[in-house]
Amino acid sequence: MRTRYRPRTFVLEIVMVALAVAFLFPVYALVTLAFKDPEQIANKPLSLPDPPSVGSFGTAWESASLSSALLNSTLITVASVLALIVLGSLAAYFLARKAGRLSYSLYILFLVGIILPFQLGMIPLYQLVNDLGLLGTYQGMILFYTGIQLPFTVFLYTGFIRSLPADYTNAALIDGASHLQAFVHVIFPLLRPITGTVLILNAVHIWNDFFTPLLYLGGSGRETVPVRVFAFVNEYTSDYGLVAAGLVLAALPILLVFLVLQRYVIRGFSSGLKG
Amino acid sequence: MTAVITPPAAKPQTPAKRAGRRSGIAPPWLFAAPALVVYALVMLYPSIVGAGSAFTDWSGVGEQRSFVGLANFQQLIHDDQALGAIRNTLLLTAAIVVVQTGLGLLLALGVHTTIKSRMILRVIFFAPMVVSPVMVAFLWKYVYNPAPDAGLNAALNAVGLGALRQDWLGNPSIAIWSVAFTVIWQCAGYSMVIFLAGLEGVPQELHESAMVDGAGTAARFRHITWPLLAPALTINVMLSTVGGLTLFTQIIAMTNGGPGYATDTLSTVLYKQAFVFGKFGYSTAVALVLALFVAAVSFIQLAYLRSRETAA
Amino acid sequence: MASEIIRTPFSRRRLLQLMGGAAAAGALASCGGGNSSGGSSGPLKVIGAGSQEAGLRKALDEYKKQNGSFEFNLSFSPADQLQTALRAQLAAGNAPDLHAVYPGNGSAMSMVQLSKANLLADLSEQAWTQKIPAGFKGAYQQDGKTHIFSPGTSVLGAIYNKKAFAKAGVEIPTTWSELLTVCETLKKKGIIPLALGAQTPWVTQLINYALVPGTVYAKQPDFDDKMAAGSETFAGSGWADAMNKYLELQKRGFFNDNPNGTTYEQATSMVGTGKAAMAVQVSAVLQAYRAAAPSPDDLGMFPLPATDVAADNWIPGGIVVGLGVSAKSKKADEARKFLEFCGQPEQINAWAEAVACVPLYSEGEAKVDPVLKPFLPYLADDKAVPFMDQRWPNAEVQPTHFAVVQELLGGKTTVEGALKKMDDAYKKTA
Repeated sequence: MRTRYRPRTFVLEIVMVALAVAFLFPVYALVTLAFKDPEQIANKPLSLPDPPSVGSFGTAWESASLSSALLNSTLITVASVLALIVLGSLAAYFLARKAGRLSYSLYILFLVGIILPFQLGMIPLYQLVNDLGLLGTYQGMILFYTGIQLPFTVFLYTGFIRSLPADYTNAALIDGASHLQAFVHVIFPLLRPITGTVLILNAVHIWNDFFTPLLYLGGSGRETVPVRVFAFVNEYTSDYGLVAAGLVLAALPILLVFLVLQRYVIRGFSSGLKG
Repeated sequence: MTAVITPPAAKPQTPAKRAGRRSGIAPPWLFAAPALVVYALVMLYPSIVGAGSAFTDWSGVGEQRSFVGLANFQQLIHDDQALGAIRNTLLLTAAIVVVQTGLGLLLALGVHTTIKSRMILRVIFFAPMVVSPVMVAFLWKYVYNPAPDAGLNAALNAVGLGALRQDWLGNPSIAIWSVAFTVIWQCAGYSMVIFLAGLEGVPQELHESAMVDGAGTAARFRHITWPLLAPALTINVMLSTVGGLTLFTQIIAMTNGGPGYATDTLSTVLYKQAFVFGKFGYSTAVALVLALFVAAVSFIQLAYLRSRETAA
Repeated sequence: MASEIIRTPFSRRRLLQLMGGAAAAGALASCGGGNSSGGSSGPLKVIGAGSQEAGLRKALDEYKKQNGSFEFNLSFSPADQLQTALRAQLAAGNAPDLHAVYPGNGSAMSMVQLSKANLLADLSEQAWTQKIPAGFKGAYQQDGKTHIFSPGTSVLGAIYNKKAFAKAGVEIPTTWSELLTVCETLKKKGIIPLALGAQTPWVTQLINYALVPGTVYAKQPDFDDKMAAGSETFAGSGWADAMNKYLELQKRGFFNDNPNGTTYEQATSMVGTGKAAMAVQVSAVLQAYRAAAPSPDDLGMFPLPATDVAADNWIPGGIVVGLGVSAKSKKADEARKFLEFCGQPEQINAWAEAVACVPLYSEGEAKVDPVLKPFLPYLADDKAVPFMDQRWPNAEVQPTHFAVVQELLGGKTTVEGALKKMDDAYKKTA
């Protein structure tokens, strides 16, 4: 069944490709829109742009200040994901290996964070970040994402570590290594598959988050890509071509990264979901 | 959840004397301390303080707030808007769970074959998942233009389905399904990928021996593939349920809860109460109810799906 | 209800500042980024409403030109984001020094609601406050104190495409019956009479706002007071008349298809391109309509006649979204000085002109956008009624109005049902 290409397989291929074409229709509509001038948009909404105009892209890139937004998004995403990997794996290692009611309760306490609606603590957290003097800063966002995404990260790591045998570390500890050394040299390398998942799931979430950076970074000059694009779209709402160009430009970096790393991204999304 | 979907590389090489020695020598508390501090600071403390305002009449600004006991929760029971929102939340979630999971399964089965385009199709179906929900909402708002010669309506007309043209976001009876469809479009690829991981784990030999026994495609799916996909199904259902119950960005960006109250959900109602109506206390009461709701639904689902897995 | 006041322990803030200092100085310090929460030094932080951008920017630039050392940090948000971001900042005691405030009452970011929570500084000392006409005091003042600066009044009426009118051979209507005839003629010529983008919530209210000055206030100028006293309700008032007229326009097919699915932007482009002839809108959006038209001169504006009695056809004219000084601002004095500057006649006129509104007051002839000319006599004759929400007692009536209009257009409720919901919202506590 997995080896032969039969007439039935061909029919299936046609069906699947047709599905993909339908799936891509919104993308087609958006991309062609970005290449059209207002007159073409009004009269030929679905045809291919003829002739294509690229003027919208330059305007959109400039007006939405996307270059600095990309930098802001990258900085915040990379730092938050690093912090999550370090804090999450260390905590999960403890939670998975320490027996007893207390550590189990702590594990449950972390899990509670997965179902808490963010709106519940939104205002007190905002006050807190303000009191810490971190509003409008990268640090504030990094702290926020690290805290918000820790429950899920701890959950993924703990499940994985529980499935690892304890013997490796025990052997290292008997050899005189400290717990930290054993973790860094023995355990952490074993966690590579799940670390990939943690990295990808968190990076996609943080990169795409809109509401929090709007609240915490609005007006600071450190806005991330979705915030800049949202403001841009609101400002030029009636100029569809320009808006479409802005959306295409904003989605392009992450789509490119995805295309290059697609095997790892897709695997990352699926492989960690266990526990 | 259950431990299943792990790619081969991730499976630890299990030494024989594994049993009973899982915990080993425990690391010190210090390992958990930094995570706990950050988690407590960013999530626990603000949520507890926030939950406290569910028992007050705080407007969200200023110093005035009085303790009102359970008044906010009593109000919730009599609030037509909140009750309508609960109904919408459930409808939306049900639609998303059923269709997204079903479509994800079909897509996974489709690309888990020998078709030549299988790799590129995986990439195409999954791609919307990496784009920001707020941008997906913008895109679909454009696609849902009600004019007969624009967006989705024009496309339907072009392929001879002109009779299906709709006022996608403006018709109160349709709007909620249009929102659901956008979410499904974005997330079906995610479900597909999870099912694919499950399919990779179905041993080929089982299929071959079944074929020798004369079992057809349907019979093989029912008796071999489907039972072995149970864990992937559990994960898919759980994830889409929580996603559906807490869906917010797409609704606010596409319909703002309208037309009328047709797409208001618990998430949008609690947002509006806090930021538009200036009823912060009441808003947190709604948020607490939502949290309990999510917890209860997840727990029941998990219990049921797990029992199903072991039965299979 | 009030039994116990919950107070935040004051030591928390200090403790956290110490911790925050440590955290910021730690591993993340290399990320750069200062502290934007503001102190007594640094630029004046201003968050304005998107619709006032042209005027506010002009005023700030002019002020900076005259005061070399003045620095400001300006940002803008569209209405709903403004609401969210500003509410969070106010809640955290971190409001910008100068921020957008809606006049009167009726929204969570309105002058009355915010000044009740002691969040706005008193501006009563400023010279321009003496010029506020008696009819508009409620928009600017709470308990006799002025808490908001706003450059003036925007009016609400029909924005129309002159070429479309010429093509159909119709003239500007002056009574409700004439309006219906005009619509009928336009429709026969294949032009959409009225573009309505009711998918965008705030657009839903405009037709009612254009009609109730005629159906309610011309007969009962004290309607708001009676509502407040509980002796009137929306149900059974001229509001029912207005909503029935709204629905009549829909039943006769005078709107574009699917108004509930059509956005404000789509409606704008319909009128700009002449596909539709009119849209009921506020004058503040004129610039957007002009941008959508081949030539800005294609567009004009006239008061929408609500009744067949010319004397009853009052107009809605409301103070536009303004600025307030945060009561907690460390730079309140600087912010006040800037508003004092904005209140000078030539500044107020420049601002008003930039956003197509009628200046709060003027010395000599005011320069007003010419398309507003038909509205000026109504303002002079006191036949202008502030936008209705500015007198509503809480922030829930207006969103309820949006929702019930969408339900009406979608055939999901009746005029009685819609008005009852608005009455219920009105009765809720502030």
